[in-house]
Parts: sequence; structure tokens; C-alpha cells
Amino acid sequence: MHMPPGRRSLIAIPAHNEAATIRDVVGRVRAHLPDCDLLVVNDGSSDDTAAMLIDSGAVVAEHICNIGYSRAIQTAMLYAARAGYDRLITLDADGQHDPEQVRALLAEFDAEQLDVLIGSRYVRSRTYAGVPFGRRIGMQLFSALVGMTAGRRIYDTTSGLKVIGRRAFEPLTQWHFIDFHAEALVYLMRLGFRVGEFPVTVVERRHGRSMYSTISLLKYPLKTLLMLLLGVIQADLTRRRAS
Amino acid sequence: MTPAGVLAGALTGFVLLIWVINLIRNGRLYVGYGVIFVFGTLAAIAVLVIPRLLETVSSLSVALVPVPSLSIGAIVIMLFLLVYVFTQITVLSNRVMHLTQELAIRGAQRQSHAHPETGEPR
Repeated sequence: MHMPPGRRSLIAIPAHNEAATIRDVVGRVRAHLPDCDLLVVNDGSSDDTAAMLIDSGAVVAEHICNIGYSRAIQTAMLYAARAGYDRLITLDADGQHDPEQVRALLAEFDAEQLDVLIGSRYVRSRTYAGVPFGRRIGMQLFSALVGMTAGRRIYDTTSGLKVIGRRAFEPLTQWHFIDFHAEALVYLMRLGFRVGEFPVTVVERRHGRSMYSTISLLKYPLKTLLMLLLGVIQADLTRRRAS
Repeated sequence: MTPAGVLAGALTGFVLLIWVINLIRNGRLYVGYGVIFVFGTLAAIAVLVIPRLLETVSSLSVALVPVPSLSIGAIVIMLFLLVYVFTQITVLSNRVMHLTQELAIRGAQRQSHAHPETGEPR
């Protein structure tokens, strides 16, 4: 399966303290997707991530301090927009996503003419089997809320594997989001952008820590809920102003 | 608390709520700070408008911290000031974030021009 000619794609990997895996992830991306350019956004890592990226074959956008996942994605999007890329593909730096699956995602993205395509762990089974109870409740809640507010249910709102089309770069860099999860999807869908899901498999992270600490796990649902509701208001105001 | 006091408290809460929500929407108050004010204010309004809850909280708070009712006014003023301080922190932090992003993008652009085989747009 080959990339359609003339469509330029940028793979973006936001990384924070991922020294153990980043070189391997970059190597696998370059091996499986040689026709895509690669940008790693090193989000103020305090470990050897920066050193591991030297001569890795990736362009590195170096955040001088840690400003968070969503800002790292926005940095990649701004870079992609300025360099004229048509699609941005985001992958996690912990090696959970298999770059081999990106080809199928891109094919679906083009075939369905989408603005955002999410590599989804749950769209096929539509259950959250194996997910810890607390997280499962949160995922079901936000999936249902996206369905209620945007008219289409998204089963994996927290996936880090996404294909984002050029048309969506502007709205996603003009407003602020928490982690580009449910709140960003609702915002885009309310603005009339086409968002889809495509089944992928992921492997459990073997190194490093999740970006969610215990306190942030308690605050995350409240923050996302608030931003989701504000996203609805903001999108409706934007549409009204535009019309 | 008298009905007039409950009404004044609830109205003050709603004003704070609308102000905070608008600040978050405009990106002038970080959602991580804002969420504490929003849900804290909602909880305070709930205590004010549900008589049994107000009774319980009043009896508990008076037993623990016997303060004159006028101090509520001081707390409200401090709350508004606190929101203002957090908006200033957010504004500064937003500037640092934009600067960080801009520096990172320019650095990446320099690399892609220096080594077109790794990152130059195809």
C-alpha cells in the first residue's frame, strides 16, 4: 500500500522522558514509513531523551521546558501547517503504537475524506474489556457525552494515534485543549469537521510512566467535562460569528 | 441565614461562575485552576440553596471555627482576588508557552533545512 502521490504527511511523536523507547520508536517509524517526514517534539524531558534523538534521523522540536502533551501536539501542528504538510499523524513515544498500522489508517482517512481519524482500541468490540474499572467508567462517560453533544459516538476518545488533516490544523491551534481528547473532538465535530475511528491494536507500555499522576487522574474528568461543555459553547459561537 | 443572605450569596456565586467560565473560554484562566473555582462555587451554591445542607454545614463550621458572619464578605473578596491572580499567572504562562513553541519550531525548521533528507517537506 503506497501513499497517494502529492499528499505530504508528517509523523509527530510528542516525547516527555521517553529515553528508554524513543530511539526504537523513531527507528520503527523510519523503517515502516520512509515516505513520511518525522518530527519528535521533546517536551522538556529531564532524562536522556534529547541525547537519544541525536543522529536518530528525526527532526527534533525542542521545548525548553515541559509545557504538556496538548501543547506538544500544537507545536507539531504549527510546524506542519507552516511547512505545508497535508496530514499530521501523531504516535505515542512509549512504543504502544505500531507504525505498520499507519498505512491502513491513511488509506481509510483518504477514502472517507475525513478531517481527523482516530486509531481506536475499542471501536471494534465496543466494550472496554481489560480496562481498570475507574478508567472504564470515565471512558464510557466521555464516549456517551461526545455522542450526546456532537451527534456521533467516539469509542476511544483518549487515543494518541490520530491522523489530522490540514483543514483541522487551524481550529486545533487557535483554541486551547487539555490533551486533545473528548473536548477537542466535540469542538471539531460541532464546527462541522468529519471525525472517524478505525480499529487498531496497541501494546502495553513497558518503560516509563503514564503522563497521568494520581492527582491528575482525579482532576482529569472534571477538567475534560468542563472543557467539553465550553467546547460546545465556543464552537457554536464560532459558527454563529462565521455565518 | 436569612433568605436575603441566601439570595445574595447565590447571586455572588453565579457572578463568579460566569466570570470564571468566560476567563477559561478565552484562555485567560488555565482550566486546571478554573475547574477548582467552578466546582467549588457550584458546591457552595448547592450548600446555600439546600436548607438542610446549609444547616448541617453551618452547625459544623460554627462548632469548628466560630467566626462573625461579616468574615464571609472578606472570603468572597479574597476569592475574586485569587481568580484575578490566577488569570495573571495564566497570561504569563501562556506567553512562556508560545515562546517555547516558537523556539522549538524555529529550531526544527533549521534542522530540516540543514538535513533535507530527514525532514524537508516532500
